[in-house]
Amino acid sequence: MKKTETSTGMKVLLNVLLIIYAVFALFPLVWMVLLSFKSDAQMYNTMFVFSPTLDNYRQVLFKTDYPRYMRDSLIVSGLAVVVSVVVGVPAAYALARYNFKKKEDIAFQILSFKFAPEILVVLPLFIIFQKLHLYDTYLGLIWVYQLISMPLLIWVVRGYFEDISVEIEHAAQVDGYSWWQIFFKNLVPLIRPGLVSAALLAFIFAWNEFTFPLLLAGSKVQPITVAITKFLGTDTAHYGQLAVAAVISALPAIIFALVIQKHLVRGLSFGAVKG
Amino acid sequence: MARITLENIKKTFGKVTALDGVSLDIKDKEFFVLFGPAGAGKTTILNNIAGIQVPDEGFVKFDGEIVNLVDAAHRDTAMVFENYALYPQMTVYDNMASPMRSKLYHKDEDYIKTRVHEIAAMMGMEHLLERLPSQLSNGQKQRVAMGRALVRMPKVYLMDEPLAHLDAKLRNAMRTELKSIQANFGTTSIYVTHDFMEAMSLADRIAVINEGKVVQIGTGDAIYDLPCNEFVATLMGDPEINLIPGKLAKSADGYTFTMQEGGMTYTLPADKAPFAKLDEHGKSEYDLALRPQHLSYSFEPKEGYLKCTVYSYESIGNKSVIIAEAGGQQLRMLAPNGLRVQIDQDVYVDLDLTHALFFDAETKDFVARYNEEAIRAIAEPEEGSDA
Repeated sequence: MKKTETSTGMKVLLNVLLIIYAVFALFPLVWMVLLSFKSDAQMYNTMFVFSPTLDNYRQVLFKTDYPRYMRDSLIVSGLAVVVSVVVGVPAAYALARYNFKKKEDIAFQILSFKFAPEILVVLPLFIIFQKLHLYDTYLGLIWVYQLISMPLLIWVVRGYFEDISVEIEHAAQVDGYSWWQIFFKNLVPLIRPGLVSAALLAFIFAWNEFTFPLLLAGSKVQPITVAITKFLGTDTAHYGQLAVAAVISALPAIIFALVIQKHLVRGLSFGAVKG
Repeated sequence: MARITLENIKKTFGKVTALDGVSLDIKDKEFFVLFGPAGAGKTTILNNIAGIQVPDEGFVKFDGEIVNLVDAAHRDTAMVFENYALYPQMTVYDNMASPMRSKLYHKDEDYIKTRVHEIAAMMGMEHLLERLPSQLSNGQKQRVAMGRALVRMPKVYLMDEPLAHLDAKLRNAMRTELKSIQANFGTTSIYVTHDFMEAMSLADRIAVINEGKVVQIGTGDAIYDLPCNEFVATLMGDPEINLIPGKLAKSADGYTFTMQEGGMTYTLPADKAPFAKLDEHGKSEYDLALRPQHLSYSFEPKEGYLKCTVYSYESIGNKSVIIAEAGGQQLRMLAPNGLRVQIDQDVYVDLDLTHALFFDAETKDFVARYNEEAIRAIAEPEEGSDA
């Protein structure tokens, strides 16, 4: 009996701690949402009680280029993930199935792209992009985003391929299927959970990317992360509009995270953990 | 239906030589068993025939045509994999239907349905058709894997230990079933096993494989009774054959054999044929081999019996095995069940030397045996008639 009492006490304590952490983590988001409904006049002199207005939203969505930035973000992040999938899945297959010299070195090299601080490579990239006329283009950003989205995808999908016994492919060959048929009919369904979660996670990473678009894109291509800073003028700061821009730009990431939440943990850990 | 010929197949994986010059000629409609210990290269041979792997050297021929460059899909084989290799995302029905849904071997859905149900009924697994492989036991998975191969009528069935994970009763039933399927379909079948009972009961001919080489090819009886070396002799038969190292000496009216351990000297029964061969071979160190059923025992001292102590006594079902020890020499023999035998008690053993085989003690190769002519006549009846 005593044991149950203490464990009940522990439960309460744990929950309190979790609640404290949740408040700590979520308050900035709540504050941002609140700000987005405040008018400039009420910005500094109200806390939770104010007369909400949709002016900021109207302003951002209809009076600025906000939809264009949103579109740019979608194009760059979306296509970056598409390229990652098209290139990364075959790469993962090769790393899982074939034996070639320096295989592990190559695999680790790919992963290490993710370790390097972006600011470290961005300066040489800037110069190279200028020379190649990739500066401020969709192609340039999609290309450089591969550093962010590809390593994760390759490593997760590789784990899935390694878990599929090679005899399954052999069996399908003997059954009379061609390699492409085997790939799409037998392998893709088996890697799908990992592929979907890795791709969505890669999308979120790409969406949140700031350093590369800040320095490698200018006025023609502007993802939302960079565009938001525009609302901070040199003389005036429209915090309300800034908040609106941030809230809307966070939506896709939040929606995706909620949708895949269930698959995310399973999808990412299933292939990696050998059982 | 096809005749499968392998010519001097070599295959290496990195520094490991998996196959070292394998040549086989598997006749049309034959049930051919590849038999050998784990890691001998049996599965690699199947993979080379199926086209999953390509030999580094040598030719694979189907009906005399070289198929080295034909990919697995176009070779028209059906294979049962040792680890089942079922498609995890498909039901048992779809797994079994898969070979008939590929473009190459396409059949209409009505035919597929009848065929799958027919095979499933034969294997007693109609109730499993809607399940996924993850919902099956290992024995059931193995039956599905068999079923997936049997739905088609390919040129050759390749089976890699297809019964290994079935329980004993089902295994015997499936063995009988397989044999009759093969006889009915008349499809060439190549079957890998490390179970000598399976090899003996199923095979038209057996090839014993060791370390990537073919050691001996012949009918089950031929390999059992005329093993080409000690390796084959010990591999075939359970309990294992007795190998008794010793010295052969010429005496006035024939030969005597003195055991290295145990110290007994036997006068070999007079027989011209084996003696002639031993004469010809001319060495003095031999391993005398005798199957356990040709040893007899007594718990009372008897004239000419070798005094041993009981090392172990264990039941193998319908009979038991006594292992007796004399010096360092162990002798296995068959005994009825239910004997009251104490470990280390005295036992007297007699060897029926009229069934003895002689192996060269150095090279371990077969030299001679008693009744060789008669056994050869029975064991190799078709020798030369349809090669």
